[in-house]
Amino acid sequence: MRSLLITLTLFSIIFISCDLYPQDDYKEYYVVESYLIAQDPLAPIYLSTTAPATSAYSFEDYAVSGANVRVHLLSDDGDSNIVQTFAYQLDSAGVYSSAFQHTVLPSRTYQLQITDLPNDPTASIIGYTTVPDTFSNVSEVPDTVIYQSENQIEIDITPSLNTQRQSYFIFTTIALNPSKENFTPLYSDFFDDQEDEVGDFVKTSSGIVNEANFETKPNGIVTLKYPWLAVAFYGDNQIVANIIDDNIYDFLRSQSVQLGGSTLSPGEIPNVLYRLDGGIGVFGSLAADTIQTYIERPSSIDFNQ
Amino acid sequence: MIKKILLVLALLTPISIFAQKASINGYVTDKSSRETLLSANVALLETNRGTTTNTLGYFSLTNLEPGTYTIACSYIGFELFRKTVTLSENETLRLDIELEPNVVATEEIVVTSERIIEAQKNIGTQDINTELITSLPKVFEADVFRSIQLLPGVKAASDFSSGLYVRGGSPDQTLILLDRNTVYNPSHFFGFFSTFNPDAIKDVRLYKGGYPAEYGGRLSSVLTIYNKDGNRNRTEGTATLGMLASRVSIEGPYKKGSWMFSARRSTLEPVLAALRSTSDNIPSSFYFLDYNGKVNFDATKNDKLSLAFYSGQDKVNFPFSDDAEFKLNYGNRTLSGNWTHIFNEKLFSNFVLTGSQYFNYPELELGGTPIERRNNIYDYSIKADLEYLPNEKHELAIGVWAGTLTIRLNDRFDNEPSFSSRSHSRYSSLYISDTWRPTEKWKIVSGLRSSYLSDGNYMRLEPRLSLEYKATDRIRLQTAYGRYNQYLTLITNEAFSGFDVWLTADDGVKPSFGDQYIIGAKTIPFEGFGFDVELYYRTMNDIFELDPFLQDVSGLDYPELFRIGNGDAYGAEFFFEKRAGNLTGFVGYTFAYTWKKFNDYNNGIDSPDGSGRRYPPKYDRRNDVNLVLSYKLSRKWKSTISFNYATGQAYTEVLGQYSANNTPWANDQLNTFTVGKINASRLPPYHRMDISFSRLGTFFGLGNAEWQFQIINVYSRRNVWFYNFDFDENPVERTEVPLLPLLPTISYTVNF
Repeated sequence: MRSLLITLTLFSIIFISCDLYPQDDYKEYYVVESYLIAQDPLAPIYLSTTAPATSAYSFEDYAVSGANVRVHLLSDDGDSNIVQTFAYQLDSAGVYSSAFQHTVLPSRTYQLQITDLPNDPTASIIGYTTVPDTFSNVSEVPDTVIYQSENQIEIDITPSLNTQRQSYFIFTTIALNPSKENFTPLYSDFFDDQEDEVGDFVKTSSGIVNEANFETKPNGIVTLKYPWLAVAFYGDNQIVANIIDDNIYDFLRSQSVQLGGSTLSPGEIPNVLYRLDGGIGVFGSLAADTIQTYIERPSSIDFNQ
Repeated sequence: MIKKILLVLALLTPISIFAQKASINGYVTDKSSRETLLSANVALLETNRGTTTNTLGYFSLTNLEPGTYTIACSYIGFELFRKTVTLSENETLRLDIELEPNVVATEEIVVTSERIIEAQKNIGTQDINTELITSLPKVFEADVFRSIQLLPGVKAASDFSSGLYVRGGSPDQTLILLDRNTVYNPSHFFGFFSTFNPDAIKDVRLYKGGYPAEYGGRLSSVLTIYNKDGNRNRTEGTATLGMLASRVSIEGPYKKGSWMFSARRSTLEPVLAALRSTSDNIPSSFYFLDYNGKVNFDATKNDKLSLAFYSGQDKVNFPFSDDAEFKLNYGNRTLSGNWTHIFNEKLFSNFVLTGSQYFNYPELELGGTPIERRNNIYDYSIKADLEYLPNEKHELAIGVWAGTLTIRLNDRFDNEPSFSSRSHSRYSSLYISDTWRPTEKWKIVSGLRSSYLSDGNYMRLEPRLSLEYKATDRIRLQTAYGRYNQYLTLITNEAFSGFDVWLTADDGVKPSFGDQYIIGAKTIPFEGFGFDVELYYRTMNDIFELDPFLQDVSGLDYPELFRIGNGDAYGAEFFFEKRAGNLTGFVGYTFAYTWKKFNDYNNGIDSPDGSGRRYPPKYDRRNDVNLVLSYKLSRKWKSTISFNYATGQAYTEVLGQYSANNTPWANDQLNTFTVGKINASRLPPYHRMDISFSRLGTFFGLGNAEWQFQIINVYSRRNVWFYNFDFDENPVERTEVPLLPLLPTISYTVNF
């Protein structure tokens, strides 16, 4: 009995003394942020580094200038040959803009290439994005709709054909007449005079919404019923439907998990899913279409009173 | 199938008939209530023959030489039973034993019983004393699961969760059976309490690992809970007023049997009403309730029938804004009909029809946009178990379990269907096991279980084996191996179990499987004490869990919903127990490792795709010590202390940060962390002491009464649940989210 106990104790001590899973130390990474929008000019590229979690952070403090930044348009024949190269120049600390006028082409793949990084000249960052196909609204959007009335805003959009998968949407509502008085009841209640500014609510967006949530007609037209939840202000509002590429999809769905809300235990924080070689961040693309309508305050309900 | 089994067993019967041996069989019951006692020890003192009662309180000793014997029976908390019996050739003596409760639990009586008849504790198995459940210091309400969390090998996710994490397994790896019926969501208040009313329960047993072929369907463990049958002697009841909930239980006899009914309901309404008068954002309605009932019909000496039901529900209505309301309605219902038939002294049978339903209806109305879920599980099954004793060396058990499982999940967003899934599967299992005692020192239990699920057409075989060697009268060495399969996975959140969804294996999603290896020793170092040691190693393969990175599952193929992984767990458990006297209690210590690994998860930041590094889940604790002591201060006063010290849970240390500020679709800054290995850091150690005092008295002469005063977290340790991050501060501020503070509670119980 005694020997059994001694053996078990020794066994335990050996295990306790070994750290089988040591904590890593902080490592600095280059961070890229850029979103190409189909049919828009080439978007700026933001280049910075990470900051230690215990330090104060601002983009300007960690911006990386002096790098050689280029974006290549690749051929669409499957060989990924470079068709055209766009050199970027430094606009301000860490912000690079294309020196050429180029409209981003839908359904085409762009390659990001960053070299001559100041702290490590031998390093490079490479990323690819395939721009979603454009789409457009083909329905008649009424000029005015009454908030929370039975007649919800419906948008019929043409299919985005360039992917092998369903489309992933993000919807954005941009208020054109934002004011405290124009808040819809829900947002009026959420608004905190001490901590918030009206401008914080001007642009509200959904999370990722899969295409399968919506009705697809035989001709491929997708009918979206726009939820009242997304409307923060009465008055003129722009509604933007965005279809995102795989890079933004991975970035967003994993970034949102870091601060909870998934099935992971609280405190279990995974890294974001990155699709870049040599750096982190996102080099992604999207296609978007915008409609505009006037959201009228209903006469029967007014939660502000 | 049943007929064939009976035929085979009948053909074996003559072997013993020709031997002209005698036998004794019967039920063991509590004399005060005639409630059957499970796992009571029965022995013939002149021989080394002994057995324990089964899960229906039945025992049988066969192939006895004719002659005179002293039969003895013991059960913790009851006086030793002794009776001299004389058996003649071919006699089958039906002896129903009634044990007298130990009103005054003196050291001498219990110790005597232990010396004569050693408790038959099987490997990986732990009985939970139902008295302990009510006497432990409780967080508002006596709780079965929180009592189980004190046992070695069982961990809690947090003070707010009653979920059972057994030997590295998540809660869905424990099969929970109430009167042989599967319970799918055993929680109230979103996981804070378990659903089982302690007043309605008579037996709780946890098979922590290496569990027998009789059970299956989960990788880790099995928890069996049996409701009381009801007092067969007199009508009696108990009522308890608590700060969070109150409960009442009543039971009694009728001409052909007994009945029991108990109900429990939370009593938060006055508190909520008071809070509503002073602050906003208080639920307009928030309660849980549950009912347990059982009716027993003793048809003949050899036939017993029972019908048991459970119904529990949690409901909350929470208008948290001018134009937003959250509603949740979830619960379980179970119904089981049981028929126990004794064919003869060698063949015992039990047949059960079960129905188990789980429903979960969360609704959110947000700014004129309704978001709804309708989630249902319907599980209907039939079970048959036969126990056959061909001779004194073998105990055969064979059984079948077959049923249908329907899982329905419908989501609606803005009055339109957004996700719809309905699986209707058939499942079945068949097991056979043999308990073989080749000599007095050896016990070998071998078994084989096969299981089948129609979704995906999966069929699996599960061998089980356990060996026991009685080295001395006080030391039994045990080892076990088993293969286990699991066809279900639970989508839940450790912090909130109100939205639980179960999903099954299917085409493209293989069932999980694992092996368990256990070695241990059960010892009696001194009279009245027990000391158990177990070492275990177990694997978890093809675990399928909902992919945590999915924000919207609409339109995805079923296999795309999951991430597939593996894991293993190993450790050592020590359990030292003092079973009798004025001071009783136990100290349990667990040293354990748990690892999990998923594809494309916990890779280096530079290479997100790959097989993934293994990591400890949050609930992994290296060291875990629990001390529970109960002391009878006087005839009226009793005190119970529980203390837990555990290594801090695993968490992910954030190392770096940046912010994506330029998204075209939103104003928000996407604050982003960089981390190293997932869960490579540890929270501060957890420790907490709770204490309770109870005072016995009378209720105006009408019955016994008991006051219970409790203090949870006596020295107000601020244990950390997890860290939260405030991005409004620069640098980002890390704040601790604490667990339970110091919490005094009081309850009053009347027995009538």
